[in-house]
Amino acid sequence: MMRHYVTIQPDLAMLDGKFLESKEIGSALLVELYRNHIGDYPKFFKMDALCRVGFVASELLLQAENNVRFEPCDDRAVIFFNQSGSLNADTHYQATIQDPGNFFPSPAAFVYTLPNIVTGEIAIRNKYYGETSFIVLEQADSAVMARQLLNAFLDSATQSIIGGWINCDDDEHFDARLFIIERNEYADVETLAKDIETIKIQ
Amino acid sequence: MEELIYKLKQEIIEVLNLEDMTPEDIDENASLFGEGLGLDSIDALELIVLMEKNYGIKLEDPSKGKEIFKSVAVMADYIQKNRTK
Amino acid sequence: MIVRIADNIVSPLGTTSEANYLAVKSGKSELKRYEGKWNLPEPFVASLIDRPSLDDEFAAHNIDDRYTFFEKVVILSSCKALANAKIDASSEKVLFILSTTKGNVHLLDANETGFPKERVLLGQAARQLTDFFHNPNQPIVVSNACISGVCAQIEAIRNLQGNRFEYVVVVGADVQSPFIVSGFQSFKALSVEPCKPFDADRTGLNLGDAAATIIYARRDAVMADEWVACRGAIRNDANHISGPSRVGEGSFRALKAVLGDFSRDEIAFINAHGTATPYNDEMESIAIERAGLSSVPVNALKGYFGHTMGAAGVLESILSMKAIDDHTILATRGYNNIGVSHPLVLSNQNCPTEKRAFIKLLSGFGGCNAALLFVKGGQQ
Repeated sequence: MMRHYVTIQPDLAMLDGKFLESKEIGSALLVELYRNHIGDYPKFFKMDALCRVGFVASELLLQAENNVRFEPCDDRAVIFFNQSGSLNADTHYQATIQDPGNFFPSPAAFVYTLPNIVTGEIAIRNKYYGETSFIVLEQADSAVMARQLLNAFLDSATQSIIGGWINCDDDEHFDARLFIIERNEYADVETLAKDIETIKIQ
Repeated sequence: MEELIYKLKQEIIEVLNLEDMTPEDIDENASLFGEGLGLDSIDALELIVLMEKNYGIKLEDPSKGKEIFKSVAVMADYIQKNRTK
Repeated sequence: MIVRIADNIVSPLGTTSEANYLAVKSGKSELKRYEGKWNLPEPFVASLIDRPSLDDEFAAHNIDDRYTFFEKVVILSSCKALANAKIDASSEKVLFILSTTKGNVHLLDANETGFPKERVLLGQAARQLTDFFHNPNQPIVVSNACISGVCAQIEAIRNLQGNRFEYVVVVGADVQSPFIVSGFQSFKALSVEPCKPFDADRTGLNLGDAAATIIYARRDAVMADEWVACRGAIRNDANHISGPSRVGEGSFRALKAVLGDFSRDEIAFINAHGTATPYNDEMESIAIERAGLSSVPVNALKGYFGHTMGAAGVLESILSMKAIDDHTILATRGYNNIGVSHPLVLSNQNCPTEKRAFIKLLSGFGGCNAALLFVKGGQQ
């Protein structure tokens, strides 16, 4: 099993297999986790829900990892997968242009209408200059994710990856299952796929 | 004018998601960008939308925003003089 | 080695790679000014496909009205490339990778009916493509903003380095909609005239419709006239989600990674992103200089097609390969006077070259940057 993995869903947060204390649900849970575990990054409140859940999940992972933080780093990639792309942000932006009589396209909403923005938010927070990538799938498929993640190590600069599944249907419904993997930690796609499945079941 | 400044502060806090801030926390003479409130380029674009939506002011040249968004006081003054609603 | 075996471009300039190349070589563009289109309050300049003009081609390929226009151009471009490749697309040895940013986003509009709303999901749109060809593999959709087209090719290279697949079909596509145009307008990123990459008077980008396909295969030996996708890299600026790095950090790092020990003297040109926004082009000039590539010619193709988003990386790679096949560095349409602080070798005329390699460079929202080195005949 990976050394560090995290699950955040509307009604729970788990880090390395242990429940984190929380009482809120949905979007309020993300704010609660931010206040209890992070708290010094006001940009969090500008983020859309996909970025919020990705930001909080990555912070929890990195706190568990307990390495030196915020030093420039060029050997860590951030590679996520989901099903809904940026649908939630797309819907919010569409609302700003739907009514011709109240047509005020919002740049702050538009900027989040790309799923890879969350990988950029994590790169900015942590000074990660390595690869960032976002892949959309018709459905979650651990074997495909494992294959794509191990493929990413074909870039010899990449020594570790924050990766995993991060989906957001709307502001209140999200599902993040992220983890850190190191180069050479997994010899084959099947073993990594099995561990990705394990996070899913917990 | 004071009323407009207060209302503008509330609107800025809302559209820019300045969580944990109240109008009282914003110094109307302090710089909005850089040192002051620390706003960035997307915030500037969102302030352009705010001016159009709430006050009917259309800013054709975004670079003009630099002068207008110097501080809340400067912005309020510009709105006072140019508002169409 | 990973070799290109076929390609296609569907754009306002034509529905084959050859037609597009010849149009570009002769300086043509379909960038036009639109006023009142889609009831948008502000005019814009874009390179849009005249949709009914493709009806005959769709019919000839049995692409019916089950599909959205986005899906139709994706399928049409793939069909035409696959016809040249002569491979069995239904084989489990073939993987499809779709590069797009907004897919069927227009379906979110409350007035859009006739298609299931789920088709706005990029995975569902991609499934239309693989189902059309009866391909059994889950398609990969790369959605990394404007660098997606290069990222998709990098994913193709990586997937072909294992034994699981023999061929990868990379399709890049985006079609314009009020959603996209109004969004870029809200960013004050659009020029109200045809764009001018790297020019002193550049004021922003134009958007465009396109679909482009490259089919890659793995080979042990490469012939001299075959194109090899050698090395790709994706790097982040770690600076800002919408503004490019002021020091070109990610772009510089991506360039450095793909160059490796490859001789700068062998590079015919860098095909830059060159969107013609003030910040992007300036950033690229800094990155190119930092990578020690100031003496290598640079061109940008946005003046012919506008910014075709998910298609751009694929379309611009194809045209760059065709240009080198034709011993040509394509002109940067719209460019007149240098308008970036770091000197670049740019021209608004086609120029001759006998070199056999180029670098495709892209940058996008989310601070991402990508570069890909192509060498005809492979790296010696």
